[in-house]
Amino acid sequence: MRRPAPRRRGTLLAVAFLLPNLVLLGVFTYRPLLDNIRLSFTDWNISSPTATYIGFANYVEWFTSSASHAVLWNTAVFTAAAVIGSMALGLALALLLDRPLFGRNAVRSLVFAPFVVAGAAVGVAFQFVFDPTFGLVQDLLARVGVAAPAFYQDPEWALFMVTATYVWKNLGYTFVIYLAALQGRRAELDEAAEIDAASAWTKFRRVTWPQLRPATFFLLITVLLNSFQVFDIIDTMTRGGPLGNGTTTMVYQVYQETFVNQRAGFGATVATVMFLILLVVTLLQVRVMERGQER
Amino acid sequence: MTASGRRPLLRLTGAAATIAALALSGCAGTGSSEDSDAGGSGPVETLTFWSNHPGESKPVETELLEAFEAESGIEVNLVTAGKNYEEVAQKFNAALSGGELPDVVVASDVTWFNFALNDAITPMDDLWSATDVDSEGYVDSLREDYEFEGEHFALPYARSTPLFYYNKAMWAAAGLPDRGPETWEEWAEWAPKLAATNGGVAPMVLPDGSNYLDWYFQGMVWTFGGSYSDEWDMTFTSDETIEAGTFLQDQYRQQHIAVSNDANNQFGAGQAAALLQSTGSLKGLTGAADFEIGTAFLPGPTPGCPTGGAGLAIPERISDERKEAAMELISFLTNTENTVKFSQATGYMPVQKDAVDHPDMKPFLEQNPNFRTALEQLEVTSSQDYARVLLPGGGARIGAGLDRITIGGEDVKTVFGQLDEESTQVYERDIEPKL
Repeated sequence: MRRPAPRRRGTLLAVAFLLPNLVLLGVFTYRPLLDNIRLSFTDWNISSPTATYIGFANYVEWFTSSASHAVLWNTAVFTAAAVIGSMALGLALALLLDRPLFGRNAVRSLVFAPFVVAGAAVGVAFQFVFDPTFGLVQDLLARVGVAAPAFYQDPEWALFMVTATYVWKNLGYTFVIYLAALQGRRAELDEAAEIDAASAWTKFRRVTWPQLRPATFFLLITVLLNSFQVFDIIDTMTRGGPLGNGTTTMVYQVYQETFVNQRAGFGATVATVMFLILLVVTLLQVRVMERGQER
Repeated sequence: MTASGRRPLLRLTGAAATIAALALSGCAGTGSSEDSDAGGSGPVETLTFWSNHPGESKPVETELLEAFEAESGIEVNLVTAGKNYEEVAQKFNAALSGGELPDVVVASDVTWFNFALNDAITPMDDLWSATDVDSEGYVDSLREDYEFEGEHFALPYARSTPLFYYNKAMWAAAGLPDRGPETWEEWAEWAPKLAATNGGVAPMVLPDGSNYLDWYFQGMVWTFGGSYSDEWDMTFTSDETIEAGTFLQDQYRQQHIAVSNDANNQFGAGQAAALLQSTGSLKGLTGAADFEIGTAFLPGPTPGCPTGGAGLAIPERISDERKEAAMELISFLTNTENTVKFSQATGYMPVQKDAVDHPDMKPFLEQNPNFRTALEQLEVTSSQDYARVLLPGGGARIGAGLDRITIGGEDVKTVFGQLDEESTQVYERDIEPKL
């Protein structure tokens, strides 16, 4: 029997390794994605076995609804604040704990710990932190004579509350990535900067920060995607309120339309719009990163 | 393709995969689920019961199911299908789209109708005949809550009404008689006294719009002669409904009534003198508070108390054998003896007419006079307005509107006008074509 040519054998091997993963991706990711897009053109009550094709009616309704505009705004504010907040604080902590400090390993563990806690548990715990009557925040503010804001009744403070909670939970993730990047940077560049008597700021801006760019781009994409998907913290803390949609983001709108208003077709439309927004944002990010690398 | 050309594509693919998973988080396919016992006919050996254990009822549910197993020889899997009625409905909807269906499911006052309208749960009338269920034994108003087009789609299980709770010490400090206010006007007179003599605590706290304010306010609307709807005609803009909304807003502005996301704790910690809350919270509140709690009917002048809570339903798409076995389980869980046991463990209403005369009930009522209030109030309850319980998203929609006129301070006529318009639109789009 003749053995297959090395090139053909390599191809077969590649197929053998790739096929199971491609099948899983196709069945569990891309098929549901296509199914979702199909459903977005239907009027489908989640409890009904049948869906009726209605063309672009759901899309017209979503794009012309003032509620959807509010939801889009909430999503943009939450995502921007969550991405910037968790990355800036994560970087600051990583810079601090990259130094030889007493007990830094313990502190590193503490900073990372919230990231592995379930979002729903964090949401429930922070309900008490922000409780207007018994909460930690209220207590701390009262000690300096400041009345606690109406976290659960003022939509802007409610959005701040869920964002701050999410940043706290996510901080460990950005911290670990930045810390790994800092520890992998080239020591000789730091030494050269020190020999040149560069100030701490100049050293960070000219030497450290450029080496953190890949980590920053990676975090920008992953944190943005994760922030867009936050559901559990909002569900446990505010249920999308106050005043109806004070903290309703697009993911939460998908849930509300599908399971509360029973409009699974419309929920699929919101999910599809969200998918397209994320696709465009991700494409732009990748493009910017590629250009940065080309330079 | 070069390596540098492939990189963005690979990254993009990875991102798209993540996004796709997200995009589908709320949407399943429309494939209908098959019978849960595709194995065919024959005696039913096991049943699955999906519950959220309303009123912290898991221990008593387990006890009742063990008794059923001993009596019938049928094993019952008690599944925690969510932490509230909405989560159970969500899981049930997911099962309808292709998962494994339970045999008995808890269906709340706001979730059962959509299931009935879409043939997801089965009409019970024929099953009652087949399994000798005495439907007339159930409290009429509670049984009829599940009637649609002449058929019944659930039997009452964990049924509740709102109740007026008050802190007796604060009442005494304000020099008020040991009873609830008989009218909302009387309440408006009492509230300043309560605030003045109790260190400025909120005279009354109500759960906010995300926590069923729409349910508690419904009784208030009725006492003003208004309603959310008259069957499928929306009545948010009637003079009486507007008057009730204006009264609520005035009471909120005058700090006679506070609206909170955590009303129970606020009342239990002595930060409010009174509370409107479900009878299902009676046991929990009584156990948690370190002061004496009094209970009363909701203020009038006319009776204004809606029913609420949940019933037990059977999926349409299971076999007839399973339906009959499920009906027997429901009948067992809600018979006189067991509804008395369930009520005493949770604070929910007994659902059988003769439960009040059960030998276990008399000593219990003597020891728990607050529960007697809840029981007596049952006689003046009414089924809820369609706009809240039968329209998809009705409760959440009205709750958000009530948040807007209290917390948001928006004009009552404008907000109620929008509620009227939106509710009508939902009816015409989602309900009318299916009637």
